Parts: sequence; structure tokens; C-alpha cells
Amino acid sequence: MVELILFYAFAGVIIFSAMLMVLSRNIFHSALFLAVTLLGVAALFAMMGSFFIAGIQVLLYIGAVVVLTIFVINLTKQVIGQDAPQVNEHVIPAIITSLLAACLIILAVLKTDWGTRIAQSVAQTELTDNTALIGRQLLTNFVIPFEVVSVLLLAALIGAIAIVSRDKEAEK
Amino acid sequence: MITLAHYIILGAILFAIGIFGVITRRNAIGILMSLELIFNAVNINMVAFSRFLTPEGAYGELFTIFIITVAAAESVLGLAIILAIYRKRQVLNADEMNLMKW
Repeated sequence: MVELILFYAFAGVIIFSAMLMVLSRNIFHSALFLAVTLLGVAALFAMMGSFFIAGIQVLLYIGAVVVLTIFVINLTKQVIGQDAPQVNEHVIPAIITSLLAACLIILAVLKTDWGTRIAQSVAQTELTDNTALIGRQLLTNFVIPFEVVSVLLLAALIGAIAIVSRDKEAEK
Repeated sequence: MITLAHYIILGAILFAIGIFGVITRRNAIGILMSLELIFNAVNINMVAFSRFLTPEGAYGELFTIFIITVAAAESVLGLAIILAIYRKRQVLNADEMNLMKW
């Protein structure tokens, strides 16, 4: 019962702040609502027992991505006016597309037979922390994707520095 | 009782909101932020599948870690490109970035 109330509360927070993020006219408020949405998703992860993923979500998304976005918003402050219209002329096709996508996924989910394993749900089995299991998997079965992702991060780091600092060298 | 369908439907709604934002936002930074919503919808689905269907291997959680990493890299590069375009041409709206449009 507590689980049900918590799930609907967090789902309400997520959907409400996501709608506000998409529809807000001020891009800075959008970034703050994005942080609220990500926090709600982290709470859902914790509810499902993935405490490590919840921590990563808070650290990496709210701590890094949203802060970086706010930095860029502040660096480009002159263009982003307070009352600039933030929505273009594609509103009606966008509504149709997103509603169709959501209806398709929801219908597919409701019509699928998920088998017997779903009967023993999270509520009945006790929530065990699987951080140790994730660590063991990352260093045994998933070691090659792990290394590839680290190379990707290095490439993104160097690429970001190269892209942003290029025209400064041209000025000199 | 919360079932797998609850989480997937929540993920679908979040995905639809993200699609709406990607299509309608004029600001390029807003488009990137809506993209983060789509990534989070996928992450909710991944963790729910892993928790309900394969709890012994935590495969969905591993893929969530990789998705978060790739999303962070993508966000950094996108913001760097936006900043570079802003410095050169003083535009930030996606419909005004028409330099490569014929």
C-alpha cells in the first residue's frame, strides 16, 4: 500500500515537472524543472532497489548534466530573452506524434503476456542491494563495453575542448 | 501492487513528453534537455525490466550505466557545439541555424 502511494506520488511529480519543463517559456526554469524530473526518476530507481543507479543518476545527471546546461544557459544569456516564444509552429504534429507513440507503447504493454516471472514482483521478494553484482558484472562479462565507454568519454572530453576553444585560437 | 506495466507506462508517457519537447522547442538547449527526458524514459524501462524479469544478472542496470555515460558525453558535445555556434553567429534557435540548408 505504501509502495502504491509512493509510486503514484513520484510518477505525478515526474510527469508534472516534465510537462512544465517542456512548456515553460523561460529556458532557465526549464532546466530547474528538468532537475526535479531527474530527482523523481532517481527516487523511482531507489524504489526498485537499484540504489547504485539512483546515486549515479543524482551525481551524473543532476550534478553534472543539469549544472553544465545551466552554465551554457548563463553563457548565452543575451539571446535567451525572458519572454521569447519558445515553441515553434509544429505544435499540432508534435502532439499527434507523441500521443501516437504513447498509445502504441501502452497498448503493446497491456496486450503482452509477461509470463510467470512477473508474479513474484518486487513487493514480495525483498529488496536486495545489487551494487556488488553490478561491479562484478562490469569487470567480468561486460569488461569490453566498459573499456569502450571509457574511450568514448575521453573522446568526448577532447572533442568538447577542441570545439569550444577553436575560434579563440583563430582570434589571436 | 505495482507491476512491470506501471513502470513501462510511466516510461511511455515520459517518452511522449520528450518527443513533444524535441519537436516543438525552438531553443537548441531546450532540445538537448528534452533529449535527456527521452533517455530517462528508457532508463526507467531498463531498470524495471532488469528488476522484474532478470534480477539475477542485473543486465538492465548495466545498460543503464552505459546509457547514462553516453548521454553525458552526448550532452557535453551538444552544448559545446551550441556554444561554438553562438560565439560565431549569435543565434541559439534551431530554426535559425540554417547555414547548411540549401
